[in-house]
Amino acid sequence: MNVITRGIRNAFRNVIRTLSLVTILGLSIGLSLAMLLAHQAVGAKIDSVKASVGNTVSVSPAGVRGFDGGGNALTETEVAKVKTLAHVTSVTESLSDRLTTTNTNLVSAIDAGSLGQRFAGNSGQSFTPRPDTGGATGGPSSFSTGGGQSNVSFTPPVTVVGSTDPTNLSNNVGGGTFTLKSGKVFASNSTENVALLGSTLATKNNLKVGSTFTAYGQTVTVAGIFDAGNTFSNNQVIMPLVAVQTLSSQAGALTSAILNVDSVENVASVTTAASTTLGSVADVTNDSTRAQASVAPLQNIQTISLYSLIGSVIAGAVIILMTMVMIVRERRREIGVLKAIGASNVKVVGQFMSEAITLTMLSAVIGIVIGAIAGNPITKLLVNNASSGTSGGPTGGPGGGGFVRVQFGGIGRGLANIHAAVGFSIILYGLLAALLIAVVGSAVSAFFIAKVRPAEVMRAE
Amino acid sequence: MIEVKNLKKTFASGDTQVHAVNDISFSVADGQFASIIGRSGSGKSTLLSLLGALEKPTSGSISVGDQDITKLHDHALISYRAHKIGFVFQGYNLVPNLTALENVMLPMEFAGVPKKDRLERAKALLSRVGLSDDQQLRKPARLSGGQQQRVAIARALSNKPKLILADEPTGNLDSQTGEMIFELLHELAKTENTTIVTVTHDLSIAGKTDKTFRLNDGKLVKK
Repeated sequence: MNVITRGIRNAFRNVIRTLSLVTILGLSIGLSLAMLLAHQAVGAKIDSVKASVGNTVSVSPAGVRGFDGGGNALTETEVAKVKTLAHVTSVTESLSDRLTTTNTNLVSAIDAGSLGQRFAGNSGQSFTPRPDTGGATGGPSSFSTGGGQSNVSFTPPVTVVGSTDPTNLSNNVGGGTFTLKSGKVFASNSTENVALLGSTLATKNNLKVGSTFTAYGQTVTVAGIFDAGNTFSNNQVIMPLVAVQTLSSQAGALTSAILNVDSVENVASVTTAASTTLGSVADVTNDSTRAQASVAPLQNIQTISLYSLIGSVIAGAVIILMTMVMIVRERRREIGVLKAIGASNVKVVGQFMSEAITLTMLSAVIGIVIGAIAGNPITKLLVNNASSGTSGGPTGGPGGGGFVRVQFGGIGRGLANIHAAVGFSIILYGLLAALLIAVVGSAVSAFFIAKVRPAEVMRAE
Repeated sequence: MIEVKNLKKTFASGDTQVHAVNDISFSVADGQFASIIGRSGSGKSTLLSLLGALEKPTSGSISVGDQDITKLHDHALISYRAHKIGFVFQGYNLVPNLTALENVMLPMEFAGVPKKDRLERAKALLSRVGLSDDQQLRKPARLSGGQQQRVAIARALSNKPKLILADEPTGNLDSQTGEMIFELLHELAKTENTTIVTVTHDLSIAGKTDKTFRLNDGKLVKK
């Protein structure tokens, strides 16, 4: 038998005390691991949310979101001021407009439905009634407007977006991923009357690459057909910015500018600088700010879990420390005997350290089991409580900044979707924490052991 | 040969100085059995602590063989206690969760004796003090007082020390068992050529030792 095995055996000298200690310490280590799991899971979620948001700043005309609100379009002169801001690497400009039955022969691929009727009615100004198009599969709808018209039919308008970055759907239309189905993408600085059509819009109107349609009374050639993966974007027309500005008689006008920033860390400063530069003519927003507000409760959880982690580790260290001090005090006479028969301080301390490590490792096993079982439920409980006030973010109407709102809604909904899994690293952390606790607990008891003089054995007689 | 010269040990008790051992000189030859008698508080246990290097004297010297143990540093004192000294205490002071065999092996572990040799010697010593194989594997709580003191004596002999210091070795035992333990110590002193110094209240035991020292208020009053 040596110092280590003697220490291990000593850990079981008092079974009831050992069981009590191991249970309490196990709970402490379990709580530490649960908090560590929560901290890691929430941290990963925050990182993923921030990563998904990207590093862009949106500039919209003041008071306008898509086709809602009112105000004046931005001008290229105004946007030019923010192109030179520090950390702005590029700017995507766009002008959104609606093609109506008076200036296009395109028929929307989206049926008005009850929502379309409601939006149109609530707008106070109906879209131009259109007779049956014949080719439309959805057919016209009847509705009553707020202005008192009744039993007139309409089809939803087709949105046309003039853009300097036609393939970047997240920046200029209703979101989604641009996939070119046929044809080719026009150059970003093109001035030609060419267009990319959403796939359902093209199908609805029997258009192919090379076909033509009418917009603003002019003939426009279909350069390509794309699939965005969602119904809204697949009903849109993307054209060169200059072409839309010219055709719609809005030379130099913009409804959106997306500033691409060199890093996420600089998004906030660019937002502030752009807002200051443009003043009251523009609303400057970024997803990062919104995401930051959205993940703020998660960051609070992260902070709470970190403090709880530190607290529970300290509690564990105090528990084992006090226990070891108590054991040393109880065994002063035995320590004196060991020293009297030739044991060095190192050997006696080693024996007690072995005992402390045995107790904490047993506790660590229990703690890891507790942490594995309770980690995920505790994380979900914390997150659900915190995110109940942040979920259900705004949802958008058509066009303009709507894509931001849709994406932001996704962030809000995804906040509660956090899973804390116990991995090898967590087990390793648990064992390391236990070892740390044991060493701290032993270090203080070692001090007391060193102070016990071998002559104690004579005094105890 | 143990030679004590002008040994003093003074403790501070509040504002006063207590002279637990006050200028004592004596010698004990190798293989002799010496006893120290005296009333409670006369300094017997303090003298034993000084001889066993459990405490350092205020002044004076203690020579065991050719070594003055009062001049040894801490590391050498640990080695001295491990190799040169064996202790037998009144309350046995065995480690409660170790078997009799393991208790006897313990000082040999501290002295660096190989494990195989430890086991053989521990078994031999326990057999010699009269413990059966079954008793050797028992923990102290399952042994009688006399048996525990036998284990303590075997433990004291484990590293073949030059000096065994016994503090009231029969104090917790009935007279018959005490007599047996005393005889055992006496026999070992002769066969192992080990010097034994024992503290006792029992004058009949003291009368049978080779030398008797009487202490009174820290001073040696009779050799």
